[in-house]
Amino acid sequence: MEILSNLALGFGVALSPFNLLMCLVGVLLGTLIGVLPGVGPVATIAMLLPITFNLNPIAALIMLAGIYYGAQYGGSTTAILVNLPGESSSVVTCLDGYQMARQGRAGPALATAALGSFFAGCVATLIVAMFAPPLAEVALKFGPSEYFSLMVLGLVAAVVLAHGSLIKAIAMVILGLMLGLVGTDVNSGVLRFAFGIAELADGIGFVTVAMGMFGLAEIIANLEHKGTREVFTSKVKHLWPTKEDFKRIWAPVLRGTFLGSALGILPGGGALLASFGAYTLEKKVSKNSAEFGKGAIEGVAAPESANNAGAQTSFIPLLTLGIPSNAVMALMIGAMMIQGIAPGPQVMTERPQLFWGMIASMWLGNLMLVVLNLPLIGLWIKLLTVPYRILYPSILVFMCIGVFSLSNNPFDCVLMAAFGLLGYICVKLECEPAPLILGFILGPLMEENLRRAMLLSRGDPLVFFQKPISATFLVVSIILLVIIALPNIRKKREEVFVEET
Amino acid sequence: MVIKSPKDFWAGVMFIAFGAGMAAIALTNYQMGSAVRMGPAYFPTVLGGILAALGLILFMRSLVLKGGKVPAFSFRPLLLILFAVLLFGYTLKPLGLLGATLLLVFVSAYGGHEFKWKEVAILYVALFIFSVVVFVKGLTLPFPICPAPLEDFCRF
Amino acid sequence: MRGLRIGQRLAAAALLALATLPAHGQAWPAKPVRVVVPYPPGGPVDISARLLAPKLQEALGQPFVVENKPGAGGNIGADFVAKSAPDGYTIGMGAIATHAINPALMANVPYDPIKDFRHLALVVQVPNVLIVNTELPVKSVPELIAYAKARPGRLDFASGSTGSTGHLAGELFKQMTGTFMVHIPYKGAPAAVADLLAGRVHLMFDNLSSALPNVKSGHVRALAVTTLKRSASLPDLPTLDESGLKGFDMTTWWGLMGPAGMSPDVVQRLSAAILNGMDAPDVKERLRAMGMEGSAVRTPEQFTAFVDAERRLYAKLVKQSGAKPD
Repeated sequence: MEILSNLALGFGVALSPFNLLMCLVGVLLGTLIGVLPGVGPVATIAMLLPITFNLNPIAALIMLAGIYYGAQYGGSTTAILVNLPGESSSVVTCLDGYQMARQGRAGPALATAALGSFFAGCVATLIVAMFAPPLAEVALKFGPSEYFSLMVLGLVAAVVLAHGSLIKAIAMVILGLMLGLVGTDVNSGVLRFAFGIAELADGIGFVTVAMGMFGLAEIIANLEHKGTREVFTSKVKHLWPTKEDFKRIWAPVLRGTFLGSALGILPGGGALLASFGAYTLEKKVSKNSAEFGKGAIEGVAAPESANNAGAQTSFIPLLTLGIPSNAVMALMIGAMMIQGIAPGPQVMTERPQLFWGMIASMWLGNLMLVVLNLPLIGLWIKLLTVPYRILYPSILVFMCIGVFSLSNNPFDCVLMAAFGLLGYICVKLECEPAPLILGFILGPLMEENLRRAMLLSRGDPLVFFQKPISATFLVVSIILLVIIALPNIRKKREEVFVEET
Repeated sequence: MVIKSPKDFWAGVMFIAFGAGMAAIALTNYQMGSAVRMGPAYFPTVLGGILAALGLILFMRSLVLKGGKVPAFSFRPLLLILFAVLLFGYTLKPLGLLGATLLLVFVSAYGGHEFKWKEVAILYVALFIFSVVVFVKGLTLPFPICPAPLEDFCRF
Repeated sequence: MRGLRIGQRLAAAALLALATLPAHGQAWPAKPVRVVVPYPPGGPVDISARLLAPKLQEALGQPFVVENKPGAGGNIGADFVAKSAPDGYTIGMGAIATHAINPALMANVPYDPIKDFRHLALVVQVPNVLIVNTELPVKSVPELIAYAKARPGRLDFASGSTGSTGHLAGELFKQMTGTFMVHIPYKGAPAAVADLLAGRVHLMFDNLSSALPNVKSGHVRALAVTTLKRSASLPDLPTLDESGLKGFDMTTWWGLMGPAGMSPDVVQRLSAAILNGMDAPDVKERLRAMGMEGSAVRTPEQFTAFVDAERRLYAKLVKQSGAKPD
């Protein structure tokens, strides 16, 4: 078997003491910055790039990749413990993870996230090893019309995220879409909704919105109840998931892994949808769907597996086509080029040691992360016993430093405060922030691809139905929309009924 | 007009304001184009219209269907926390982490229920040291540690 | 002042002295120098700044701290440098976007790319290459022109963004050849390359460094390079100038600059240190990986003249092509 000899070669490279050390340094650093809100892997990798110049290419890339998936692990920790999504992928983890933490089940939530991520990482690494080149071909099949239809599907799915009013959820998605349009229009270069503020020309940053809507709003809302001083219950039941928990999570982890692996391959924003998609899927198929949003363990297991799987498979377009699927991957390209390696299909044939070494190190890195993170859970739980009056100013300091560091400009703090206010108002009006965030992420992509598809087809809207992949997505969206709408309409009727009698 | 569901009512008002406002800005400032060659106003106008329509549904519904009241706003934490964030943003460069963290920690702690000078002071010192070590020294963020005139005393 | 006690006065004087001390005297640099990069971390401009910073620190004895101030297509960072005190403690990267294209393309650029800056040294200058999808039955520039002329408005050319060098090179190409092709803007060149590989768009002008791997592996076909001189990395590739588009000369570039009014001594020492740093073997090798094959622009004066020429070129180009958003 060729694959076995390739993997043997890879592990030979990755298991050398120095590369192992670099992998460990990477995942440690990644975990640290993942846990600290605001300072993301992009900034960290960028600042570390000059240090990697003195390393050999393999060690450098192993370390940088370690930072990337280490940050994913760390990011879910903060999402679960204090409701702060530092990455778009951990937004959905907040929904149920944080609720679990408040109920004294932070331990099982963190363990589920770690185990689910580890499993997903193993499977996805195997997929990268076995199918990278053919899957890269699939990635190229996705053009503007396919991406647009995928985004439509994603938005329909976003509505399922909400557990309250359907109309409010749709409205929040659209509000998010519109906020995503602030800044320079990709197609025409026109500055939109910037109101003469130069800082808005490049749009509003995701981190600023997420920190404001989730983090700040949550802190303010927690501080308003005079009676209940502590946010987290002091009765921590157990650190480890129970047998019942394991029974509930294995299927969501599997589904999340496969959905995440599939979406991660698409460089034009597929991975963004992975965790959202997995959550939606679980909410629809689960027996416990009523618990979602109130601390369902499936709501942590599925998106965490999905986003880690997506993080691994997003290396496929990078390694085989030289096309980055996100900002971190773009940095990896920079790192490779500076090392004199041109990313692209020839990496696999010309530098098999690098290619297979990196794949092997991904698996090792995931193993290190799970070994590292499981014992840490006890420590994190301790953190929640710190009185809230100590905890929240600390969270604020980390948030402010992180947001300020985005562009070294006070304006980002202003924006975060503005979104904190909006988030607080939304809490009061029972409008949920998660659909808004998804709309915000997808809005610009959706408009961009729609207009590009129309330009390329010279204005023929039928392209969306003529291309098989695109047509499939649209049909599925319509079906999904009907499924979502039906029980709601029925419920509404009942409500009306109740009122009349 | 009797508002039966204040939550829905105000949510509706908010969505109408955002939707109609942004659509109006787009229509008056940017080009609409056509469906073939969409201008920069096309997408925001369509979205703004849908958002305003959804807002209107909520608005109408709030007059018919009974729903929850809007819980009272607690202005003390709201204003103090947001103010603390702004303070930090605008004082970080002139006053360094030393000053900006001080303001952020004290003002935000004052927004809570209990405020103990001693405890907050210890918290401030701990957070300041942690930030310097992790962010400035470790992650090499280009933040000043001390206010500009005292810069020379703050080389560690 | 009369109301102040001696102690207070002394303290005030001491503070004042402390505040102004480092800026005085021959002792530049007496404190760390800030290097503003007007883009987010990790891009080629940022990487080259971070490559040079340790070399400058070695040569001048003070840390050079890279600070990213992204926003408004680089204008926020460039404006920050322009408005800084010309004491030699704030310098920054200026690029073709901030100093040539944006002033032509955007309405409110708050600085003058020539008068508000002291240009120190050009760091990187990279040619663009004209690449086409391999399915397109053209092997040379004249064939492409003939093919495009036979199909007006049917060919699509992609670019990394509206107003990028790739876009403007395409517009100049259309103008000089009298062809009509549709511009398809993307968010970043890699996304455009993906659609070029898949055949959804037909051609694009891409940076030599990023196009090179795909050209060498045969996934795209290169037709010409956009500089007057052939590139050392692809010596067999003709220039557009040779292919009949006389005088076609476009590069992507960036370099270090400070605010106008810096002392000549500081300018001289800085620019010498930058050039030395660029010639250090390890830095040179890495800049070459970014596509820097050496440039005729070496002195601060040559750099100023170069920026001025570029600014004029793009002002003309933007006006003629109608690329300016309305």
